[in-house]
Amino acid sequence: MRMLGRTAQNLFWLSRYVERAENMARLLEVGYRMSLTSRREGGASEHLISMLRAAEMDEAFAERHEVADVDTVAYFMMFDPTNPSSVYSCLQAARTNARSVRTAITTDMWESMNGAWLEFSQIKPRDVRGAKLLGLLQWVRQRSHEFRGALLGTILRDDGFAFLQAGNFVERADNTARILDMKYYVLLPRSSLVGGEIDIQQWTLILRAASAHRSYGHVYHDRYKAYNIADFLILRTEMPRSLIYCAHFVRDNLNLLAKLYGRREACNDAMDDLLKLVEGTNMDQIFAHGLHEFLNDFIDGNNRVTDTLSASYNFY
Amino acid sequence: MGENTPFDEMYNADGSVREPYRALSEWLAEQPEKGLALMQADAEAIFRKLGITFAVYGSEEGTEKVIPFDVIPRIIAANEWRKLSRGIEQRVKALNAFLYDVYHRQEILKAGRIPEKLILNNAAFCPQMMGLEPARGVYAHIIGVDIVRVGPDEFYVLEDNLRTPSGVSYMLEDREAMMMLAPDLFQRSKVAPVETYPENLRRTLESVAPAGAGRNPVIAVLTPGIYNSAYFEHSFLADQMGAQLCEGQDLFVDGGKVYMRTTTGPERVDVIYRRIDDDYLDPLTFKPDSMLGVPGIFDAYRAGNVTLVNAPGTGIADDKAVYTYVPEIIEFYLGEKALLNNVPTYNCTDVEQRAWVLENIAELVVKEVHGSGGYGMMVGPTSTKAQHEEFKKKIIARPDNYIVQPTLALSTCPTHINNDVAPRHVDLRPYVLVGDEVRITPGGLTRVALEKGSLVVNSSQGGGTKDTWVLED
Amino acid sequence: MRIAIDHKLSVSVPQGTAQAVFHLLLTPPSGPTQTVESWSVEGPGIGNAGRFTDGFGNAAHLVNQMRPEGEITIHVRGEVTTRDSHGVLGRPAGEPVPALYRRRTELTKVPAEFYAPFRDSKESRLSICHALMERVGETLGMPPEEPEAQQMQADGGQEQAQDVTEEPRPAAADYAHLFIGAARALDIPARYVVGYRLVDGEDGLHAWAEAFDEGLGWIGFDPFMQICPTDRYVRLAIALDAETAPTLRTVPIAEVVQVVKASAASTN
Repeated sequence: MRMLGRTAQNLFWLSRYVERAENMARLLEVGYRMSLTSRREGGASEHLISMLRAAEMDEAFAERHEVADVDTVAYFMMFDPTNPSSVYSCLQAARTNARSVRTAITTDMWESMNGAWLEFSQIKPRDVRGAKLLGLLQWVRQRSHEFRGALLGTILRDDGFAFLQAGNFVERADNTARILDMKYYVLLPRSSLVGGEIDIQQWTLILRAASAHRSYGHVYHDRYKAYNIADFLILRTEMPRSLIYCAHFVRDNLNLLAKLYGRREACNDAMDDLLKLVEGTNMDQIFAHGLHEFLNDFIDGNNRVTDTLSASYNFY
Repeated sequence: MGENTPFDEMYNADGSVREPYRALSEWLAEQPEKGLALMQADAEAIFRKLGITFAVYGSEEGTEKVIPFDVIPRIIAANEWRKLSRGIEQRVKALNAFLYDVYHRQEILKAGRIPEKLILNNAAFCPQMMGLEPARGVYAHIIGVDIVRVGPDEFYVLEDNLRTPSGVSYMLEDREAMMMLAPDLFQRSKVAPVETYPENLRRTLESVAPAGAGRNPVIAVLTPGIYNSAYFEHSFLADQMGAQLCEGQDLFVDGGKVYMRTTTGPERVDVIYRRIDDDYLDPLTFKPDSMLGVPGIFDAYRAGNVTLVNAPGTGIADDKAVYTYVPEIIEFYLGEKALLNNVPTYNCTDVEQRAWVLENIAELVVKEVHGSGGYGMMVGPTSTKAQHEEFKKKIIARPDNYIVQPTLALSTCPTHINNDVAPRHVDLRPYVLVGDEVRITPGGLTRVALEKGSLVVNSSQGGGTKDTWVLED
Repeated sequence: MRIAIDHKLSVSVPQGTAQAVFHLLLTPPSGPTQTVESWSVEGPGIGNAGRFTDGFGNAAHLVNQMRPEGEITIHVRGEVTTRDSHGVLGRPAGEPVPALYRRRTELTKVPAEFYAPFRDSKESRLSICHALMERVGETLGMPPEEPEAQQMQADGGQEQAQDVTEEPRPAAADYAHLFIGAARALDIPARYVVGYRLVDGEDGLHAWAEAFDEGLGWIGFDPFMQICPTDRYVRLAIALDAETAPTLRTVPIAEVVQVVKASAASTN
C-alpha cells in the first residue's frame, strides 16, 4: 500500500518533536547548570538568555516574562503551552502526529508516546522546582530514548522508517548546531576570556548538553579544548550527535527512500549540498571562516533538506 | 411488552441457571476471591494502553476516556441467534429496497403506505441522490441494529443505524480482551467467532466497487480526524482491513475521479468507507463551509467513478419518524410479516395520542427525533418530576420533534460491580454488512448500564460494554 | 426560432488556492420545446471534466484546477432552436418523479395567507397555476407595460448584448420561488428553471418556474414576465430552487461574474 503524503509528514514530525523535546530538556539543563555556577552578578540571567537566544526563543520569552530566572525560564521551556517549542508543546505535537498515523507505527511506539504524554500532561509546574527539575529533565530524555528504542526494535524498515529516522536526525543536527552557536553567543561579549577558565567551563557544559562530556575523554585523551570540542561536535563521525554523523544518517535514509521509490528527488541533491559543508573540511578552515557563519550555513542547508523533502514526498 | 420485572438472561425465576449460561455460571463459581477484580484491572490496563478511547463531547477539550469493559460476557444461544439474525437480514434487505424506491419511482409513497410529506420534507432525505444507481443497488452497506430483549422469546428493535454506525471496534476489542483474560472459559464453550468482521468488511466494500475498478479495488476509510470521538475505531478498521486511513485533505478529485495524495503522487481510490456525515462530506454539494470533506467527491460518485459507503441519504431509512413504518416497509417490499418487533411508538402530533402521552409521561421514554447517543432523551420512571414537566413543555412546543415509547424492561445480565456480581440492564447492537451478500457478525456489541436500575446504556452516559457470545450448536 | 447564446463566467479564485473545484450546470437539454444545435463549454480543465447527470436530470460537469492563478473564465456558446408550445413541456425522459418537487425548501417558504385563496379551489390545476402566477405578480409587482413582441424584430438580425447586473435576476428568482412555494403548498409539484431569455434591454440569464399537471405534464410559468415561456426561452437546468440550480458552484467559494449575450441567429 502506498503511503499518504500526510502520513510521511506526520512520521517525520513525530520523531522530530520527540527529539526536540529531548533537546529542550538538554538545553534547559545546560542553562540551569550554567546559571548555578555563574560567579558574577546578573550572570545567571545572562546565561539563561543566551541559551534562549541559541534556541531562537529569546523574543518569545521576552514577550511573556520580564525577568529571566530559573523559574520563569523553566516554565517557559518545559510547560508553557503557548511556546511551540516547550517540552509540553513538543510532546503534545508528537503525540498528535502519532495519533494521526496510529496505523503506520507499531503498538510499542504508540504506547511509549501515549504514555509519555499522559504522564507529562499530569505534572503540575509548581511541583517541579529545584532538584526536582533536574529529575524531570532526565525523565524527558529517558522517555525519548524509550521511544527511539521502541522504534528501532519494532518497526519495518520501509519508507515509514526512513521518514521517522530522517526527522529524528534532521532535528538533532539542527540542535547540535544551535548548541554550538550558543557558545558563540555566550562568548561574544567577552572574547578576551577565550581559553580562560570560564571559557572551559562553558565548553564543558556544551559537551554535557550533547551528553558528550565523558565520551570526549575516550576520543581525545586530552583536557577540554575548544578546538577539540568543536571538532567533536562537528566533524567526528563516531559522535552520534555530531553534525557530520547526523548528516550521514539523514543522507542514508533519503537514499533509502530514493531506492524504495526508484527515483532521486530534489531532497537528495539538497542533502549532497549539506554534506559538502562538513565533508572535506577541517576545524582550521571552519574557525578561519568563522564558526558562527559556518553554523548558520549548516542550519540553512539543513532547513533546505526539510523543505525539499516536504515537496518531494507531498507533505502538506 | 414484557413483565414489570425485567428478564434475567442468566437465571430463571426459580433461581436455576438458564442453559446458555451454564458454563459461565460454573466458571464464576470457581473464580477465587478478587479474581474478577484483578481481571477487571487487567482489562482496563489493556484498553488504555491500546489507546481505545472515545472523546466525550462537552467535556474539557481533549479529554479521552476508556470505555468501561465488563469482564462477564453476555451469552446468546444458537437458536435465539438464528431467529434474531433472520429478522435482522429481513430488515436490512427491506430497508435497502426502501432506499432504492424513495430515490427512484417512490412506489411506496404513490401507494400511500407512508405519508409522502414524511419522506420528501424530511431533512434526512437527499434529493441529490435521485436516480443514482448504486453498485448492486445497495445504499446501506454497514448497519447497526439496536435490539433489546424483554423476555425469553421477545426481542424489539429500538432503532436501525444506517448512517455511520459506530462501536464495532469495541465488539472486536472486547473479544480480544476476553480471550486474553479468560481463555479457560472459551475452552468450555463453543463461541462463534467475530474476528472475521474486518475481512468481511473488506469483501463487502470490494463487492461494491464501481465498474471501472480493477480486481483489487483501492479502499480508503475517510475520517473527520483525530479529534473525532470514534477516531480510534476509524484507524482500527483501516488497519485491520489493510485500507488507507484518510482525512478529507488527503483526497482530491481530478477529472471526475477521486485520488489520494501519496508520497509518490496521486493514487486512484475506488471505494470510500466514509465516517463523515452527509452534511460535511462535500462542500461543493452539501454544507459549503465544511472543512472535513472532499470538494467534488459527491459528483465523482454520481459520475460512477467511486463508491461511497454508506451512500448519502440513507438517514431517511433510520429516521425516528420513519421507524414506525418499518413493518409496513417489510411487507411492501418483501411481502412478509416482520420477524422482529418494533417498539410501539406514539405520535405526538396526533392530538389524542399527545394528550395520553402528557398524562402518562412518568412511565414513558421520550426521544428527540434527530437526537442520538442518549442526548435529548428522557426515561420517565428514572427521571424527576421537574424533568417530566420540562419534557412536557418541550413536547407541547414541538410535538413533531419527539417520539414517545413505553419504557421497556430491558433484560439484565450478570455484571461485575465492586467485586460482586449483580444484574444490570443491557441492549445489543449486531453489525450487518450488505454487499454481494448479507453478512451478520454473530453477536455484536452489548452495552450495559452500569448504574443500578438505569436503562441508559450509552457510553456517553456512563454505560459500558461486554463481550457478546453466540454459542454454536 | 434559433437563438445564439454567448455566456461568459469569470471566477475570481482567492490567492493561494491549492485547488479550485467547479460544479457546472451549463448544458441545456434537448426536448419538446428546444433542440440544441450546437453547444460548447470551454475553460481550463474542461477537457478532463467529470461528466454526469445530477439528481434532477441535468447534465453536469465537475471541473477542477490545481493551483489556479487569477481569474478563471468559462466560455459557453451554442445555438438552440426553440418552439413555442404555450409553455407545455410534457414529460421529458430521465427526470425524477414529479412528486420530488413537492419538497419544501428554505427558499420556497411562503406565508399561508398567500396561497389560502386557492386552497379549496375547484378549478383545474392549470387555472390555479395561472391564477397563482397573477397573484405573484400582484404581490411582487407586475412587469412594465411593454408588449414583448415589439422588442424582437422578425428578421432577428440584431444582437442584444447585455451585461448581467445584480438586480433583475434575483428578482426573477424571487418571483419563481414565491410561485413554486405556493404551488407546493397546494400539493402541486413545482420546480425552478434557470435559462436564457431573448429580450431587449434586459439580461439574457433568467429564472422561472414549472408546475406539473397530471394531464399535460410540466408547464412553464414565468411570474416575472407574467407569461408562459415562449420560443424566446431556452431552458438550461432545473432543480428545487435557486440554491440547488446554480449555473456554477465553486469551492473555494468565489465571486462569479456572468455576462450573457442572447441573440436571434439566422437559420440556415
